[in-house]
Amino acid sequence: MLAALRGRFRGPRLGTKLAVMGLALLVVPWFSYQQLVEMERLLVQGQSQAQLLTAEGISTLFNGRDDLFNDLPLNLEDFEPLYAQPLTGNIRLDGQTEDWGSSDQLQYLAFGSPEGTADADFELLLGERDDYLYVFMRIRDQSVVYRDPEYLRLDNADHIQLNFIRADGEDGRVSLVFQSSNVMTGFVMDDQWRYAASGVADNRIQGALLPSGDEVLVEFRFPLALLGSRRYFGMTFVDVDDASARDTVRRTRTLPSAGKESFDLVVLGTPEVRNIVQGLGYSGARILVIDNQARVRAEAGAIQSPVANASEPTDGLDLSALFSDIRPWLHRLLTGENFTPSTQPTTSEENSAAARVIRESLNGAPIALRNRISKEQEMILAAHPIVSAEKVIGTVVVEQDIDNILKFQRTSLEQVLLLSVLSLVAVFVALLAFAGRLAWRIGSLRQEASAAIDHYGRLRRAELKSEINAGDEIGDLSRSVSNMLEKLHQHNTFLESMPRTLRHEINNPLNTLSTSLQNLAEEFPQVDDSKYLASAKRGVNRIGSIVQNLADAANLEESLEAEELEAVDLDNFLRSYVSNCAIAHSQTRMIYAGPNEPAIAMIADFRIEQLMDKLVDNAVDFHRKGTAIRIQLDCFAETLQISVSNRGPVMNEAVLKSAFDSMVSHRGPQNRLHFGLGLYVVRVIAEHHGGVAKAVNLPDSSGVAMVVQLPVAETEARLDAIRP
Amino acid sequence: MAKRIAIVEDDPDQRANYADAIAKKGYSVNAYGSRAEALAGFDAALPDLVILDIILGEEIDAGFQLCRELLSREANLPVIFLTERIDEIDKISGLRLGAWDYLPKPISLDYLAERISSLLRINEARDNTGPQRQSNAKTIGDLSLDQDALLVSWKGQRIDLSGTEVRMLAKLVRIPGNAVSYETLMNATMQSLVTNNTINTHMRNIRKKFEKLDNSFSCIKSEYGFGYRWSQ
Repeated sequence: MLAALRGRFRGPRLGTKLAVMGLALLVVPWFSYQQLVEMERLLVQGQSQAQLLTAEGISTLFNGRDDLFNDLPLNLEDFEPLYAQPLTGNIRLDGQTEDWGSSDQLQYLAFGSPEGTADADFELLLGERDDYLYVFMRIRDQSVVYRDPEYLRLDNADHIQLNFIRADGEDGRVSLVFQSSNVMTGFVMDDQWRYAASGVADNRIQGALLPSGDEVLVEFRFPLALLGSRRYFGMTFVDVDDASARDTVRRTRTLPSAGKESFDLVVLGTPEVRNIVQGLGYSGARILVIDNQARVRAEAGAIQSPVANASEPTDGLDLSALFSDIRPWLHRLLTGENFTPSTQPTTSEENSAAARVIRESLNGAPIALRNRISKEQEMILAAHPIVSAEKVIGTVVVEQDIDNILKFQRTSLEQVLLLSVLSLVAVFVALLAFAGRLAWRIGSLRQEASAAIDHYGRLRRAELKSEINAGDEIGDLSRSVSNMLEKLHQHNTFLESMPRTLRHEINNPLNTLSTSLQNLAEEFPQVDDSKYLASAKRGVNRIGSIVQNLADAANLEESLEAEELEAVDLDNFLRSYVSNCAIAHSQTRMIYAGPNEPAIAMIADFRIEQLMDKLVDNAVDFHRKGTAIRIQLDCFAETLQISVSNRGPVMNEAVLKSAFDSMVSHRGPQNRLHFGLGLYVVRVIAEHHGGVAKAVNLPDSSGVAMVVQLPVAETEARLDAIRP
Repeated sequence: MAKRIAIVEDDPDQRANYADAIAKKGYSVNAYGSRAEALAGFDAALPDLVILDIILGEEIDAGFQLCRELLSREANLPVIFLTERIDEIDKISGLRLGAWDYLPKPISLDYLAERISSLLRINEARDNTGPQRQSNAKTIGDLSLDQDALLVSWKGQRIDLSGTEVRMLAKLVRIPGNAVSYETLMNATMQSLVTNNTINTHMRNIRKKFEKLDNSFSCIKSEYGFGYRWSQ
């Protein structure tokens, strides 16, 4: 079964092969994708380079400017750093935050109890504008105790203490006292924070408070110059609840541990640095100046939000969504790597990328990193160190998104995919059509070529018609096959004329021989009785008959063409034939079984007689002595079947197949007068009548039957069936 | 005076064999090896009977040309063709040229001699036309057959049959209604190497010649596997 299957399947067909080869076209999208990835890399690299250059350019502005960076203590670990955000608009000191910017962007810093719900807890906002530091506080306080002007002491009412280091290096102490007019007044205080150092309020400090429910909203400002260049300070809210006892109930400090005699810090962006950077900010990029303690000292510009994408038409969105969906899959398919950036980055990752950039650049090496923020947004972080006296004193970080690169990549990817699919389809269709055409041409050529030679190896036609004018290799093939057929035809013609030529050439010397023998016998009558003369004459006769038989067989088809076909009743024909045959072969019993009704066929009667002669001779030769030879005629709708069967040895498969071939004899060497022409003649005659001849073993394996099938005559021909 | 027989045969051995055999029978023999030679000989004197090979050297139909030439000079001259094959005669039909008979090679010299004498006798018989001639004609129904003069007529009309055909027909009608075997008919051809096919071919030719005169002719019946029968 398997072997049979393997035998039948020799290999893929031409179309399949071409289609498989067409798959090689899949390298086109692969190459395109590789190129795209490379281009993206180049573009990103270009932008990185540009950002690095920007960072470098900015950093050169700060090179050597230690003064801008060394205004903060080097070690900030003991303090909690607070940042003042730059304020864009004018601030009215009214206890309200509308002018600080939109409420959701305000980042409050909470102090006091961890829950933030205890009395005297406060939240803090710091802002900076025009060399003023603005402070907004939201203090939890059920009862606001204002300053009583009766008392000289300032610490027996709710107030805020500010401590800092003055420009001259001395400790500075300022209290902001809640006046009953909801105005805040600042006083420079003594060492004990009890009395004002001078009787006059410090009018550089202005503020307002706004009690609201159990909260007090406080807003005040003071000039940065007050703090000196270091700009750090601590803040303490002193809560007094009982208006009569006026004892300090609670203190809430910006200092983390109450026991420490130190300031809490407010670190402010260095204004000078910021001023320098501010002018450099350009759209789509954010510039950060960071000192060597990794503190942000200035910031300019903002990242363009990718909101613009939202305005794209819906189908574009779908398409890009589709592409971002298949991108990882495609990437993996085409490059064999995982497309990692697709995962949503966690905060730590983001931090780590930024941290790494800052760390590396602070180590003195310029660096540019690609950082994926979200599925839609990717950033490039470039950092260049700021150097002073061969020491890194800070770094400039330029952050910019690569949205346009990604967009470009996405569109290119779409185009590449679309083009690839289109070209693949087109090429596939073309290949299939080509393969089909090729297969069809080869097929028709094969058919014609195999039809040129029939089952018995006889040449049917001497040339091919199809593809003979084609210019390609198939045409060459056709021409060469045609050429071969033509040569074969010439050879065949030669072979066909051979027996006739042979007979002509042999008959003359044979005639000489024959007449010489006759003259010899005439001249020497005593020789006439010699057995040698008799055997010589027999030899001459035998040679003559051999040559005659060969020539007859060779000319059989030609002479058959000359025969006229007549409508003959085969039943009648065979009945009389068998009865006559019985006389000729008196040693052998012959039985005829016919339908007893007219079976009309268009035949040349002498030829069918010749055919029967050969079949009967064959049956007589092979029949077992004493058994009968059975001749039978069966009528079917389309055919009349003559079978001549005899009991005797059965034939094997190969003999059955070749029995009707020319020059094939299975009689063995003792039958020298047979040339295997008898059954060949039967076949040729049967085929000339439009029938077939075959040999079969009898079903019970008791002998063989030679079967000849002839077509039934047309209806009108049957009407004038004549002889015998 | 001995009858003069001309033999035209390109093969010298065969020519010599024929000449010897015929000369022994008492005829005067002129043997020629080519058409030109033969024509030269005929110019000198016409023979009483001519035996022609068809292929002479390179000329494949020299025999036919000679036959035509001879018959234009003497219409009643008996001509015997010696040939390779009957169907070649059929094709080109030497008999239609007026030849009297043809014999396939290899031939039996005895038959040849017999044929010569018979043809000469027939020619003589025909020459002596008129009522004084003793007619050996045999009549079977509508058929009249004179084997000596090779004359056959059907319903009073003459039918041109070759010598072989006349002899076969004579065998067939010897006892009308009796089947005649192939073997008998083969003997009648007076040829060696005759097959059933040869007989069938002859019989078909005879039948056709009759049918040409009489569409309804159906006296020659096939006895398939045995031979033929004449029945009226």
